[in-house]
Amino acid sequence: MGALVFGTANTASAQIDGECSASGAWQDNGLKVDAQTVGDDVITIPRTDTVNWEGSVSSPPGEYSGSIWLELPPPFGKLKIDDWSGNGDSTSNSGSKEYDIPKLVPAGVEFEVAGEHFADNGDCTGYVKLVIDGGLFDSFVSIIFFVLTALFGVLFALVVWKMLVNAGFFARSAL
Amino acid sequence: MKVGRLIGACALGFFFFLFVAIDLVLFGVIPLNSVLVTLLPLIGLLLVAVIGVVSSRGGGAAPAEQPPAPPAPAA
Repeated sequence: MGALVFGTANTASAQIDGECSASGAWQDNGLKVDAQTVGDDVITIPRTDTVNWEGSVSSPPGEYSGSIWLELPPPFGKLKIDDWSGNGDSTSNSGSKEYDIPKLVPAGVEFEVAGEHFADNGDCTGYVKLVIDGGLFDSFVSIIFFVLTALFGVLFALVVWKMLVNAGFFARSAL
Repeated sequence: MKVGRLIGACALGFFFFLFVAIDLVLFGVIPLNSVLVTLLPLIGLLLVAVIGVVSSRGGGAAPAEQPPAPPAPAA
């Protein structure tokens, strides 16, 4: 998942502060994301793929730690995805990460994945805005929420109408 | 308006606006971490509370229908 955060692209959309670089390449999709190519557009990622990621810092990190998380609406804060820590002199790292986002997670929702990396020789923070590729009704969760909205909308309209009539905004005979 | 009914109506407003907020997220109109996701349900709750209070104050304001006047006695 780290590759998703520091994942440059057809539609580059990542923001990174600090002496770090990071990039990711989606094997099947062909999407490439470089965190140095700052952008605020939204990246559309496939629901299933493997990301080849790599990251580096400008100088040996010494003792380091970091994490990535999903930004939730305030005041709910963060939902941690992964974290790391250690001690070393290596200035770069790379790997591959296969992922499969469950169908339960609706497509088309814009979410922000953010991360930070702290080291003796400097800190980095970054974020990327993502959307899962697919249609609005790929997930049954969307349908459930549309039905609930319609149901509660009708009830809400009836209750408010009754209140307004009681308040004398409309003639009682209108009911 | 009774307090119990007002609380029920407020809960209805809260959930309706919550589902509207979730739909806006699902349609990609607002991002998941938008403050609107938090604010909309509270706006719904407050909106219904205000309407409910106004309604209870003005509940008796509407004029009751007058019974028809008795027919005038024949001369």
